[in-house]
Amino acid sequence: MTQLEATVAIDSIDYQSETYKDAYSRINAIVIEGEQEAYDNYLRLTDMLPDATDELKTLAKMEMRHKRGFMACGKNLKVTPDMAFAKEYFSELHGNFQRGAEEGDVVTCLLIQSLIIESFAIAAYNIYIPEADPFAKKITEGVVKDEYKHLNFGEQWLKANFDTVKEGLEKANRENLPLVWKMLNQVEEDAAELGMEKAALVEDFMIQYGDALGNIGFSMREVMKLSAMGLAGG
Amino acid sequence: MFGLIGHSTSLAEADVATVRLGFPEYSGHGLDFWCGAPPLLADKVRVTSPTGNVIEGQYIDSCFLPEMLTNNRGKTAVRKVLNAMAQAQKCGLSITALGGFSSIVFENFNLSRMRQVRNVSLEFEKFTTGNTHTAYIICRQVEEMAERLNIELSKATVAVCGATGDIGSAVCRWMTSHADVEDLLLIARQRDRLETLQGELGRGKVVDLEEALPQADFIVWVASMPQGVQIDPKVLKKPCVIVDGGYPKNMSTQINHPDIYVLNGGIVEHTIGIESQIMQIIGMAEPARQIFACFAESMLLEFEKWHTNFSWNRNEITVEKMEKIGAASIKHGFLPLLPHTAA
Repeated sequence: MTQLEATVAIDSIDYQSETYKDAYSRINAIVIEGEQEAYDNYLRLTDMLPDATDELKTLAKMEMRHKRGFMACGKNLKVTPDMAFAKEYFSELHGNFQRGAEEGDVVTCLLIQSLIIESFAIAAYNIYIPEADPFAKKITEGVVKDEYKHLNFGEQWLKANFDTVKEGLEKANRENLPLVWKMLNQVEEDAAELGMEKAALVEDFMIQYGDALGNIGFSMREVMKLSAMGLAGG
Repeated sequence: MFGLIGHSTSLAEADVATVRLGFPEYSGHGLDFWCGAPPLLADKVRVTSPTGNVIEGQYIDSCFLPEMLTNNRGKTAVRKVLNAMAQAQKCGLSITALGGFSSIVFENFNLSRMRQVRNVSLEFEKFTTGNTHTAYIICRQVEEMAERLNIELSKATVAVCGATGDIGSAVCRWMTSHADVEDLLLIARQRDRLETLQGELGRGKVVDLEEALPQADFIVWVASMPQGVQIDPKVLKKPCVIVDGGYPKNMSTQINHPDIYVLNGGIVEHTIGIESQIMQIIGMAEPARQIFACFAESMLLEFEKWHTNFSWNRNEITVEKMEKIGAASIKHGFLPLLPHTAA
Protein backbone atom coordinates (compact mmCIF):
# COMPACT_ATOMS: atom_id res chain seq x y z
CA MET A 1 0.00 0.00 0.00
CA THR A 2 1.29 3.40 -0.89
CA GLN A 3 2.16 5.52 2.09
CA LEU A 4 2.93 9.19 2.15
CA GLU A 5 6.57 9.77 1.45
CA ALA A 6 8.16 12.35 3.65
CA THR A 7 10.72 13.50 1.17
CA VAL A 8 10.71 15.64 -1.92
CA ALA A 9 13.31 14.49 -4.38
CA ILE A 10 15.75 17.30 -5.05
CA ASP A 11 18.05 16.78 -7.99
CA SER A 12 21.24 18.73 -7.75
CA ILE A 13 21.89 20.89 -10.78
CA ASP A 14 25.19 20.93 -12.66
CA TYR A 15 25.34 24.53 -13.87
CA GLN A 16 28.36 23.80 -16.03
CA SER A 17 26.97 20.82 -17.92
CA GLU A 18 26.52 21.25 -21.64
CA THR A 19 22.82 20.37 -21.47
CA TYR A 20 22.26 23.00 -18.76
CA LYS A 21 24.16 25.66 -20.66
CA ASP A 22 22.36 24.82 -23.88
CA ALA A 23 18.95 25.26 -22.20
CA TYR A 24 20.25 28.35 -20.41
CA SER A 25 21.21 29.97 -23.73
CA ARG A 26 17.54 30.11 -24.68
CA ILE A 27 16.02 30.88 -21.27
CA ASN A 28 18.62 33.59 -20.58
CA ALA A 29 17.93 35.10 -24.02
CA ILE A 30 14.19 35.12 -23.32
CA VAL A 31 14.75 36.95 -20.06
CA ILE A 32 17.10 39.50 -21.68
CA GLU A 33 14.70 40.03 -24.59
CA GLY A 34 11.76 40.23 -22.19
CA GLU A 35 13.44 43.02 -20.24
CA GLN A 36 14.31 44.82 -23.50
CA GLU A 37 10.68 44.52 -24.67
CA ALA A 38 9.54 45.84 -21.31
CA TYR A 39 11.93 48.82 -21.62
CA ASP A 40 10.63 49.62 -25.11
CA ASN A 41 7.02 49.07 -24.09
CA TYR A 42 7.16 51.41 -21.09
CA LEU A 43 8.73 54.14 -23.22
CA ARG A 44 6.05 53.60 -25.87
CA LEU A 45 3.37 53.88 -23.18
CA THR A 46 4.55 57.43 -22.44
CA ASP A 47 2.92 58.47 -25.76
CA MET A 48 -0.41 57.08 -24.58
CA LEU A 49 -0.15 58.12 -20.93
CA PRO A 50 1.71 61.44 -21.01
CA ASP A 51 0.73 62.25 -17.41
CA ALA A 52 2.64 59.18 -16.24
CA THR A 53 5.76 59.88 -18.30
CA ASP A 54 8.12 60.25 -15.35
CA GLU A 55 6.92 57.08 -13.67
CA LEU A 56 7.03 55.13 -16.92
CA LYS A 57 10.56 56.32 -17.63
CA THR A 58 11.61 55.20 -14.16
CA LEU A 59 10.07 51.76 -14.79
CA ALA A 60 11.77 51.57 -18.19
CA LYS A 61 15.15 52.36 -16.58
CA MET A 62 14.64 49.56 -14.08
CA GLU A 63 13.94 47.14 -16.91
CA MET A 64 17.18 48.14 -18.61
CA ARG A 65 19.03 47.54 -15.35
CA HIS A 66 17.44 44.11 -15.12
CA LYS A 67 18.47 43.34 -18.68
CA ARG A 68 22.10 44.13 -17.84
CA GLY A 69 21.87 41.97 -14.72
CA PHE A 70 20.64 38.99 -16.71
CA MET A 71 23.30 39.54 -19.39
CA ALA A 72 25.84 39.28 -16.57
CA CYS A 73 24.23 36.01 -15.44
CA GLY A 74 24.80 34.54 -18.92
CA LYS A 75 28.41 35.76 -19.00
CA ASN A 76 29.00 34.32 -15.55
CA LEU A 77 28.08 30.87 -16.84
CA LYS A 78 29.93 31.53 -20.13
CA VAL A 79 26.74 31.13 -22.11
CA THR A 80 25.92 33.04 -25.30
CA PRO A 81 22.22 33.89 -25.27
CA ASP A 82 20.31 32.80 -28.37
CA MET A 83 18.77 36.20 -29.09
CA ALA A 84 17.31 35.15 -32.45
CA PHE A 85 15.29 32.48 -30.66
CA ALA A 86 14.12 35.00 -28.06
CA LYS A 87 13.02 37.57 -30.63
CA GLU A 88 10.97 34.95 -32.41
CA TYR A 89 9.63 33.74 -29.04
CA PHE A 90 8.19 37.16 -28.22
CA SER A 91 7.13 38.04 -31.78
CA GLU A 92 3.37 37.45 -31.45
CA LEU A 93 3.05 39.27 -28.14
CA HIS A 94 5.34 41.99 -29.49
CA GLY A 95 3.16 42.31 -32.61
CA ASN A 96 0.00 42.60 -30.55
CA PHE A 97 1.55 45.32 -28.37
CA GLN A 98 2.72 47.28 -31.41
CA ARG A 99 -0.70 47.02 -33.04
CA GLY A 100 -2.33 48.18 -29.80
CA ALA A 101 0.06 51.12 -29.57
CA GLU A 102 -0.61 52.17 -33.16
CA GLU A 103 -4.33 52.11 -32.47
CA GLY A 104 -3.89 54.02 -29.20
CA ASP A 105 -5.32 51.02 -27.37
CA VAL A 106 -3.78 51.62 -23.95
CA VAL A 107 -5.83 48.82 -22.36
CA THR A 108 -4.35 46.13 -24.59
CA CYS A 109 -0.87 47.57 -24.15
CA LEU A 110 -1.15 47.65 -20.36
CA LEU A 111 -2.62 44.17 -20.25
CA ILE A 112 0.25 42.78 -22.33
CA GLN A 113 3.07 44.62 -20.59
CA SER A 114 1.95 45.38 -17.07
CA LEU A 115 -0.16 42.32 -16.41
CA ILE A 116 0.89 39.45 -18.67
CA ILE A 117 4.60 40.07 -19.08
CA GLU A 118 5.11 41.22 -15.50
CA SER A 119 3.10 38.34 -14.02
CA PHE A 120 4.97 35.91 -16.25
CA ALA A 121 8.28 37.42 -15.13
CA ILE A 122 7.38 37.33 -11.44
CA ALA A 123 6.21 33.72 -11.69
CA ALA A 124 9.29 32.62 -13.62
CA TYR A 125 11.74 34.47 -11.38
CA ASN A 126 10.16 33.14 -8.19
CA ILE A 127 10.29 29.57 -9.48
CA TYR A 128 13.84 30.07 -10.77
CA ILE A 129 15.36 31.59 -7.61
CA PRO A 130 15.58 28.39 -5.53
CA GLU A 131 17.14 26.56 -8.51
CA ALA A 132 19.52 29.29 -9.69
CA ASP A 133 23.30 29.39 -9.46
CA PRO A 134 24.43 31.67 -6.61
CA PHE A 135 25.31 34.60 -8.92
CA ALA A 136 22.01 34.53 -10.81
CA LYS A 137 20.09 33.96 -7.61
CA LYS A 138 21.27 37.23 -6.12
CA ILE A 139 20.52 39.19 -9.30
CA THR A 140 17.08 37.62 -9.73
CA GLU A 141 16.09 38.26 -6.12
CA GLY A 142 16.75 41.96 -6.67
CA VAL A 143 14.85 42.00 -9.94
CA VAL A 144 11.73 40.29 -8.64
CA LYS A 145 11.22 42.99 -6.02
CA ASP A 146 11.13 45.62 -8.78
CA GLU A 147 8.74 43.62 -10.93
CA TYR A 148 6.04 43.83 -8.28
CA LYS A 149 6.19 47.62 -8.64
CA HIS A 150 5.73 47.37 -12.40
CA LEU A 151 2.72 45.15 -11.99
CA ASN A 152 1.33 47.64 -9.54
CA PHE A 153 1.57 50.50 -12.04
CA GLY A 154 -0.70 48.76 -14.56
CA GLU A 155 -3.06 47.55 -11.85
CA GLN A 156 -3.52 51.03 -10.45
CA TRP A 157 -4.24 52.65 -13.79
CA LEU A 158 -6.65 49.94 -14.91
CA LYS A 159 -8.35 49.94 -11.50
CA ALA A 160 -8.90 53.69 -11.66
CA ASN A 161 -10.53 53.28 -15.07
CA PHE A 162 -12.15 49.89 -14.48
CA ASP A 163 -15.66 50.69 -15.71
CA THR A 164 -14.46 51.94 -19.05
CA VAL A 165 -11.69 49.37 -19.59
CA LYS A 166 -13.42 46.18 -18.40
CA GLU A 167 -14.62 45.02 -21.81
CA GLY A 168 -11.35 45.96 -23.44
CA LEU A 169 -9.45 43.93 -20.86
CA GLU A 170 -11.64 40.90 -21.47
CA LYS A 171 -11.05 41.15 -25.20
CA ALA A 172 -7.31 41.70 -24.80
CA ASN A 173 -7.15 38.78 -22.36
CA ARG A 174 -8.93 36.53 -24.86
CA GLU A 175 -6.47 37.48 -27.58
CA ASN A 176 -3.27 37.41 -25.60
CA LEU A 177 -3.46 34.95 -22.71
CA PRO A 178 -3.48 31.86 -24.97
CA LEU A 179 -0.12 33.10 -26.30
CA VAL A 180 1.32 32.75 -22.81
CA TRP A 181 0.37 29.07 -22.59
CA LYS A 182 1.87 28.54 -26.04
CA MET A 183 5.07 30.28 -24.98
CA LEU A 184 5.27 28.19 -21.82
CA ASN A 185 4.87 24.97 -23.78
CA GLN A 186 7.59 26.05 -26.15
CA VAL A 187 10.19 26.22 -23.38
CA GLU A 188 8.87 23.43 -21.16
CA GLU A 189 11.91 21.21 -21.66
CA ASP A 190 14.48 24.01 -21.33
CA ALA A 191 12.79 25.28 -18.17
CA ALA A 192 12.76 21.74 -16.73
CA GLU A 193 16.50 21.51 -17.40
CA LEU A 194 16.90 24.61 -15.22
CA GLY A 195 14.81 22.98 -12.48
CA MET A 196 11.62 24.86 -13.29
CA GLU A 197 8.52 22.72 -13.60
CA LYS A 198 5.89 23.81 -16.13
CA ALA A 199 3.02 23.19 -13.69
CA ALA A 200 4.71 25.42 -11.11
CA LEU A 201 5.16 28.18 -13.69
CA VAL A 202 1.53 27.94 -14.76
CA GLU A 203 0.30 27.95 -11.16
CA ASP A 204 2.42 30.89 -10.10
CA PHE A 205 1.48 32.83 -13.21
CA MET A 206 -2.22 32.22 -12.60
CA ILE A 207 -1.89 33.31 -8.97
CA GLN A 208 -0.06 36.49 -9.91
CA TYR A 209 -2.23 37.32 -12.89
CA GLY A 210 -5.41 36.42 -10.99
CA ASP A 211 -4.40 38.65 -8.08
CA ALA A 212 -3.78 41.52 -10.49
CA LEU A 213 -7.17 41.06 -12.17
CA GLY A 214 -8.83 40.89 -8.75
CA ASN A 215 -7.08 44.08 -7.63
CA ILE A 216 -8.26 45.85 -10.78
CA GLY A 217 -11.87 45.05 -9.97
CA PHE A 218 -12.89 41.73 -11.50
CA SER A 219 -14.97 39.42 -9.30
CA MET A 220 -13.54 36.15 -8.08
CA ARG A 221 -15.57 34.20 -10.64
CA GLU A 222 -14.52 36.51 -13.46
CA VAL A 223 -10.89 36.13 -12.41
CA MET A 224 -11.17 32.35 -12.52
CA LYS A 225 -12.60 32.41 -16.01
CA LEU A 226 -10.24 35.06 -17.34
CA SER A 227 -7.05 33.57 -15.93
CA ALA A 228 -7.86 30.07 -17.26
CA MET A 229 -8.64 31.36 -20.77
CA GLY A 230 -7.19 28.95 -23.31
CA LEU A 231 -5.26 26.99 -20.70
CA ALA A 232 -6.87 23.63 -21.40
CA GLY A 233 -5.97 23.85 -25.07
CA GLY A 234 -2.48 25.15 -24.26
CA MET B 1 -13.37 35.68 9.13
CA PHE B 2 -12.24 32.04 9.33
CA GLY B 3 -10.86 29.93 6.52
CA LEU B 4 -11.03 26.32 5.41
CA ILE B 5 -8.44 24.84 3.08
CA GLY B 6 -9.77 21.71 1.44
CA HIS B 7 -9.57 19.72 -1.76
CA SER B 8 -11.43 17.09 -3.74
CA THR B 9 -10.86 13.44 -2.88
CA SER B 10 -10.05 12.42 -6.45
CA LEU B 11 -9.64 13.73 -9.97
CA ALA B 12 -13.11 12.41 -10.88
CA GLU B 13 -14.66 14.24 -7.91
CA ALA B 14 -12.80 17.43 -8.75
CA ASP B 15 -14.40 17.41 -12.21
CA VAL B 16 -17.87 17.07 -10.72
CA ALA B 17 -17.23 19.66 -8.00
CA THR B 18 -16.01 22.36 -10.38
CA VAL B 19 -19.11 22.01 -12.53
CA ARG B 20 -21.37 22.18 -9.46
CA LEU B 21 -19.57 25.27 -8.24
CA GLY B 22 -20.03 26.94 -11.62
CA PHE B 23 -16.48 26.69 -12.98
CA PRO B 24 -16.93 24.33 -15.94
CA GLU B 25 -13.69 25.49 -17.55
CA TYR B 26 -11.81 23.73 -14.74
CA SER B 27 -13.52 20.41 -15.45
CA GLY B 28 -12.64 17.53 -17.74
CA HIS B 29 -8.86 17.86 -17.75
CA GLY B 30 -6.22 15.46 -16.55
CA LEU B 31 -4.01 15.56 -13.48
CA ASP B 32 -1.52 17.89 -15.21
CA PHE B 33 -4.15 20.62 -15.35
CA TRP B 34 -4.70 20.39 -11.59
CA CYS B 35 -0.97 20.42 -10.97
CA GLY B 36 -0.88 23.88 -12.55
CA ALA B 37 -4.15 25.22 -11.13
CA PRO B 38 -3.99 28.02 -8.54
CA PRO B 39 -5.90 27.88 -5.24
CA LEU B 40 -9.57 28.69 -5.78
CA LEU B 41 -11.70 30.85 -3.52
CA ALA B 42 -14.49 28.37 -3.98
CA ASP B 43 -17.27 29.46 -1.64
CA LYS B 44 -18.32 31.45 1.40
CA VAL B 45 -19.46 29.66 4.58
CA ARG B 46 -21.79 31.00 7.28
CA VAL B 47 -22.39 29.41 10.67
CA THR B 48 -24.80 30.41 13.43
CA SER B 49 -24.05 29.28 16.98
CA PRO B 50 -26.85 28.44 19.45
CA THR B 51 -25.42 31.41 21.39
CA GLY B 52 -26.71 33.62 18.55
CA ASN B 53 -23.24 34.46 17.23
CA VAL B 54 -22.89 34.37 13.46
CA ILE B 55 -19.52 33.95 11.75
CA GLU B 56 -18.48 33.91 8.12
CA GLY B 57 -15.69 32.10 6.45
CA GLN B 58 -14.02 31.35 3.14
CA TYR B 59 -13.49 27.90 1.66
CA ILE B 60 -10.31 27.67 -0.40
CA ASP B 61 -9.81 24.68 -2.67
CA SER B 62 -6.07 24.14 -2.81
CA CYS B 63 -6.51 22.13 -6.05
CA PHE B 64 -4.46 19.40 -4.40
CA LEU B 65 -5.56 15.90 -5.38
CA PRO B 66 -4.57 12.66 -3.60
CA GLU B 67 -3.43 11.34 -7.00
CA MET B 68 -0.51 13.77 -6.72
CA LEU B 69 0.88 11.67 -3.87
CA THR B 70 0.38 8.36 -5.64
CA ASN B 71 1.94 9.74 -8.84
CA ASN B 72 5.13 10.89 -7.17
CA ARG B 73 4.27 14.57 -7.33
CA GLY B 74 5.26 15.43 -3.79
CA LYS B 75 6.72 18.75 -4.86
CA THR B 76 3.39 19.70 -6.43
CA ALA B 77 1.52 18.69 -3.27
CA VAL B 78 3.80 20.93 -1.24
CA ARG B 79 3.21 23.85 -3.61
CA LYS B 80 -0.58 23.39 -3.43
CA VAL B 81 -0.65 23.57 0.36
CA LEU B 82 1.73 26.52 0.60
CA ASN B 83 -0.07 28.48 -2.13
CA ALA B 84 -3.44 27.89 -0.49
CA MET B 85 -2.03 29.09 2.84
CA ALA B 86 -0.60 32.20 1.18
CA GLN B 87 -4.00 32.79 -0.42
CA ALA B 88 -5.74 32.51 2.97
CA GLN B 89 -3.34 35.04 4.40
CA LYS B 90 -3.80 37.42 1.46
CA CYS B 91 -7.56 37.23 2.07
CA GLY B 92 -6.94 38.41 5.64
CA LEU B 93 -8.47 35.30 7.23
CA SER B 94 -7.98 35.25 11.01
CA ILE B 95 -7.75 31.50 11.44
CA THR B 96 -7.69 28.81 8.78
CA ALA B 97 -7.98 25.03 9.14
CA LEU B 98 -5.83 22.77 7.00
CA GLY B 99 -8.34 20.12 5.97
CA GLY B 100 -8.00 16.72 4.29
CA PHE B 101 -4.45 15.96 3.25
CA SER B 102 -3.32 19.57 3.73
CA SER B 103 -2.15 19.15 7.32
CA ILE B 104 -0.70 15.71 6.53
CA VAL B 105 1.32 17.17 3.65
CA PHE B 106 2.35 20.09 5.88
CA GLU B 107 3.57 17.75 8.58
CA ASN B 108 5.13 15.00 6.48
CA PHE B 109 7.01 17.34 4.18
CA ASN B 110 8.03 19.56 7.08
CA LEU B 111 6.65 22.73 5.52
CA SER B 112 7.35 24.81 8.60
CA ARG B 113 10.78 25.31 6.98
CA MET B 114 9.11 27.03 4.04
CA ARG B 115 7.65 30.14 5.56
CA GLN B 116 8.28 32.42 2.56
CA VAL B 117 5.84 31.94 -0.35
CA ARG B 118 6.83 34.51 -2.99
CA ASN B 119 6.15 37.88 -1.35
CA VAL B 120 4.04 36.39 1.45
CA SER B 121 5.67 35.45 4.73
CA LEU B 122 3.38 32.83 6.25
CA GLU B 123 2.21 33.52 9.78
CA PHE B 124 1.70 30.02 11.11
CA GLU B 125 -0.23 31.28 14.12
CA LYS B 126 -3.11 31.95 11.70
CA PHE B 127 -3.43 28.26 10.80
CA THR B 128 -4.58 25.18 12.64
CA THR B 129 -4.51 21.53 11.67
CA GLY B 130 -7.82 21.09 13.47
CA ASN B 131 -6.48 17.82 14.86
CA THR B 132 -7.38 18.55 18.50
CA HIS B 133 -11.06 18.81 17.67
CA THR B 134 -10.88 15.80 15.34
CA ALA B 135 -9.26 13.70 18.07
CA TYR B 136 -11.82 14.89 20.63
CA ILE B 137 -14.74 14.05 18.32
CA ILE B 138 -13.35 10.59 17.52
CA CYS B 139 -13.04 9.88 21.25
CA ARG B 140 -16.59 11.08 21.85
CA GLN B 141 -17.79 8.84 19.01
CA VAL B 142 -16.18 5.86 20.75
CA GLU B 143 -17.66 6.82 24.13
CA GLU B 144 -21.15 7.41 22.82
CA MET B 145 -21.17 4.17 20.84
CA ALA B 146 -19.99 2.30 23.93
CA GLU B 147 -22.89 3.71 25.88
CA ARG B 148 -25.33 2.88 23.14
CA LEU B 149 -24.14 -0.73 22.83
CA ASN B 150 -23.83 -1.15 26.60
CA ILE B 151 -20.14 -1.82 26.39
CA GLU B 152 -18.18 -0.67 29.42
CA LEU B 153 -15.05 0.99 28.15
CA SER B 154 -13.21 -0.05 31.28
CA LYS B 155 -13.70 -3.62 30.11
CA ALA B 156 -13.17 -2.96 26.41
CA THR B 157 -10.24 -3.26 24.04
CA VAL B 158 -9.57 -0.28 21.81
CA ALA B 159 -7.19 -0.60 18.87
CA VAL B 160 -5.74 2.61 17.47
CA CYS B 161 -4.36 2.22 13.97
CA GLY B 162 -2.07 5.11 13.21
CA ALA B 163 -1.37 5.48 16.92
CA THR B 164 1.82 7.51 16.55
CA GLY B 165 0.26 10.21 14.38
CA ASP B 166 -0.92 13.52 15.73
CA ILE B 167 -4.57 12.46 16.02
CA GLY B 168 -3.77 8.84 16.92
CA SER B 169 -1.52 9.76 19.84
CA ALA B 170 -4.12 12.23 21.14
CA VAL B 171 -6.79 9.50 20.99
CA CYS B 172 -4.45 7.19 22.91
CA ARG B 173 -3.93 9.83 25.61
CA TRP B 174 -7.67 10.33 26.01
CA MET B 175 -8.36 6.58 26.05
CA THR B 176 -5.71 6.18 28.74
CA SER B 177 -6.47 9.01 31.11
CA HIS B 178 -10.04 9.93 30.33
CA ALA B 179 -11.82 6.78 29.19
CA ASP B 180 -9.60 4.32 31.09
CA VAL B 181 -10.11 1.46 28.64
CA GLU B 182 -9.07 -2.02 29.66
CA ASP B 183 -6.71 -2.67 26.79
CA LEU B 184 -5.20 -0.27 24.34
CA LEU B 185 -3.63 -1.77 21.20
CA LEU B 186 -1.14 0.47 19.46
CA ILE B 187 -0.64 -0.01 15.74
CA ALA B 188 1.61 1.99 13.42
CA ARG B 189 4.36 1.46 10.91
CA GLN B 190 7.31 2.65 12.94
CA ARG B 191 8.13 0.46 15.90
CA ASP B 192 10.46 2.96 17.58
CA ARG B 193 7.79 5.65 17.60
CA LEU B 194 5.28 3.15 18.98
CA GLU B 195 7.61 2.28 21.81
CA THR B 196 8.12 5.96 22.61
CA LEU B 197 4.35 6.44 22.73
CA GLN B 198 3.92 3.36 24.89
CA GLY B 199 6.52 4.79 27.28
CA GLU B 200 4.72 8.14 27.40
CA LEU B 201 1.33 6.54 28.04
CA GLY B 202 2.70 4.04 30.55
CA ARG B 203 0.45 1.43 29.03
CA GLY B 204 -0.80 -0.06 25.76
CA LYS B 205 0.37 -3.06 23.74
CA VAL B 206 2.38 -2.69 20.57
CA VAL B 207 0.83 -5.13 18.08
CA ASP B 208 0.46 -5.77 14.35
CA LEU B 209 -2.81 -4.94 12.64
CA GLU B 210 -3.61 -8.61 11.95
CA GLU B 211 -3.16 -9.42 15.61
CA ALA B 212 -5.20 -6.43 16.81
CA LEU B 213 -8.30 -6.74 14.62
CA PRO B 214 -9.81 -9.93 16.17
CA GLN B 215 -9.32 -8.60 19.73
CA ALA B 216 -10.77 -5.13 19.41
CA ASP B 217 -14.20 -3.96 20.53
CA PHE B 218 -13.37 -0.59 19.01
CA ILE B 219 -11.06 0.12 16.12
CA VAL B 220 -10.03 3.73 15.70
CA TRP B 221 -8.59 4.10 12.22
CA VAL B 222 -6.60 7.30 11.93
CA ALA B 223 -3.92 6.32 9.43
CA SER B 224 -4.10 8.37 6.26
CA MET B 225 -3.25 6.77 3.00
CA PRO B 226 -3.92 8.09 -0.46
CA GLN B 227 -5.50 4.81 -1.56
CA GLY B 228 -7.49 3.87 1.55
CA VAL B 229 -7.53 0.43 3.17
CA GLN B 230 -9.48 -2.84 3.14
CA ILE B 231 -10.47 -4.80 6.25
CA ASP B 232 -11.99 -8.29 6.15
CA PRO B 233 -15.10 -8.19 8.41
CA LYS B 234 -14.86 -11.95 9.05
CA VAL B 235 -11.86 -11.51 11.36
CA LEU B 236 -13.53 -8.85 13.51
CA LYS B 237 -15.18 -9.32 16.90
CA LYS B 238 -18.98 -9.05 16.95
CA PRO B 239 -20.09 -6.51 17.91
CA CYS B 240 -17.31 -4.23 16.82
CA VAL B 241 -17.25 -0.49 16.27
CA ILE B 242 -14.94 0.97 13.66
CA VAL B 243 -14.41 4.71 13.81
CA ASP B 244 -12.99 5.54 10.40
CA GLY B 245 -11.09 8.72 11.06
CA GLY B 246 -8.71 8.19 8.18
CA TYR B 247 -8.74 10.14 5.01
CA PRO B 248 -10.26 9.49 2.58
CA LYS B 249 -13.01 7.47 4.25
CA ASN B 250 -14.08 4.30 2.48
CA MET B 251 -14.80 1.65 5.12
CA SER B 252 -18.52 2.24 5.42
CA THR B 253 -18.99 1.21 1.81
CA GLN B 254 -16.81 -1.89 2.21
CA ILE B 255 -18.14 -3.42 5.40
CA ASN B 256 -21.75 -4.51 5.63
CA HIS B 257 -22.52 -6.62 8.70
CA PRO B 258 -25.29 -6.07 11.29
CA ASP B 259 -22.91 -6.34 14.25
CA ILE B 260 -20.16 -4.18 12.82
CA TYR B 261 -20.78 -0.47 13.17
CA VAL B 262 -18.73 1.74 10.91
CA LEU B 263 -18.76 5.43 11.74
CA ASN B 264 -17.30 8.20 9.68
CA GLY B 265 -14.85 9.40 12.28
CA GLY B 266 -13.95 12.97 13.01
CA ILE B 267 -17.17 14.35 11.56
CA VAL B 268 -19.56 16.62 13.39
CA GLU B 269 -23.12 17.67 12.88
CA HIS B 270 -24.21 21.19 13.58
CA THR B 271 -27.46 21.65 15.41
CA ILE B 272 -28.48 24.74 13.45
CA GLY B 273 -26.83 24.28 10.11
CA ILE B 274 -24.00 25.47 7.91
CA GLU B 275 -24.74 27.69 4.95
CA SER B 276 -22.46 26.75 2.07
CA GLN B 277 -22.39 24.61 -1.05
CA ILE B 278 -19.08 23.20 -0.02
CA MET B 279 -20.14 20.40 2.30
CA GLN B 280 -22.03 18.86 -0.60
CA ILE B 281 -18.98 19.15 -2.78
CA ILE B 282 -16.66 17.52 -0.26
CA GLY B 283 -18.96 14.52 0.07
CA MET B 284 -20.84 15.03 3.34
CA ALA B 285 -23.92 12.81 3.61
CA GLU B 286 -25.95 15.68 5.02
CA PRO B 287 -24.23 18.72 3.58
CA ALA B 288 -26.33 21.33 5.33
CA ARG B 289 -25.28 20.05 8.76
CA GLN B 290 -22.19 17.86 8.59
CA ILE B 291 -18.61 18.95 8.44
CA PHE B 292 -15.13 17.64 9.17
CA ALA B 293 -14.24 18.30 12.80
CA CYS B 294 -10.93 19.83 11.71
CA PHE B 295 -12.83 22.48 9.72
CA ALA B 296 -15.16 23.01 12.67
CA GLU B 297 -12.10 23.76 14.80
CA SER B 298 -11.38 26.94 12.85
CA MET B 299 -15.06 27.91 13.35
CA LEU B 300 -14.74 27.32 17.09
CA LEU B 301 -11.57 29.39 17.24
CA GLU B 302 -13.37 32.16 15.37
CA PHE B 303 -16.45 31.97 17.63
CA GLU B 304 -14.25 32.11 20.72
CA LYS B 305 -11.85 34.64 19.13
CA TRP B 306 -8.94 32.32 19.93
CA HIS B 307 -7.05 33.42 16.84
CA THR B 308 -4.12 31.11 17.35
CA ASN B 309 -2.76 27.88 15.93
CA PHE B 310 -4.58 25.82 18.52
CA SER B 311 -3.45 22.56 16.89
CA TRP B 312 0.09 22.73 15.60
CA ASN B 313 3.22 20.59 15.46
CA ARG B 314 3.16 16.86 15.86
CA ASN B 315 2.09 15.02 19.00
CA GLU B 316 1.43 18.04 21.18
CA ILE B 317 -2.30 17.50 21.71
CA THR B 318 -3.03 17.18 25.40
CA VAL B 319 -6.19 15.88 27.05
CA GLU B 320 -6.66 19.38 28.55
CA LYS B 321 -6.67 20.97 25.10
CA MET B 322 -9.13 18.34 23.88
CA GLU B 323 -11.41 19.15 26.82
CA LYS B 324 -11.12 22.87 26.09
CA ILE B 325 -12.01 22.57 22.40
CA GLY B 326 -14.67 20.01 23.36
CA ALA B 327 -16.39 22.49 25.64
CA ALA B 328 -16.39 25.09 22.85
CA SER B 329 -17.70 22.46 20.44
CA ILE B 330 -20.71 21.73 22.66
CA LYS B 331 -21.31 25.44 23.33
CA HIS B 332 -21.46 26.28 19.62
CA GLY B 333 -23.72 23.41 18.63
CA PHE B 334 -21.44 20.71 17.22
CA LEU B 335 -22.26 17.06 17.91
CA PRO B 336 -20.21 13.96 17.07
CA LEU B 337 -21.69 12.11 14.10
CA LEU B 338 -23.42 8.90 15.24
CA PRO B 339 -25.23 6.19 13.26
CA HIS B 340 -28.75 7.41 13.98
CA THR B 341 -27.92 10.77 12.51
CA ALA B 342 -25.98 9.42 9.54
CA ALA B 343 -27.75 9.20 6.20
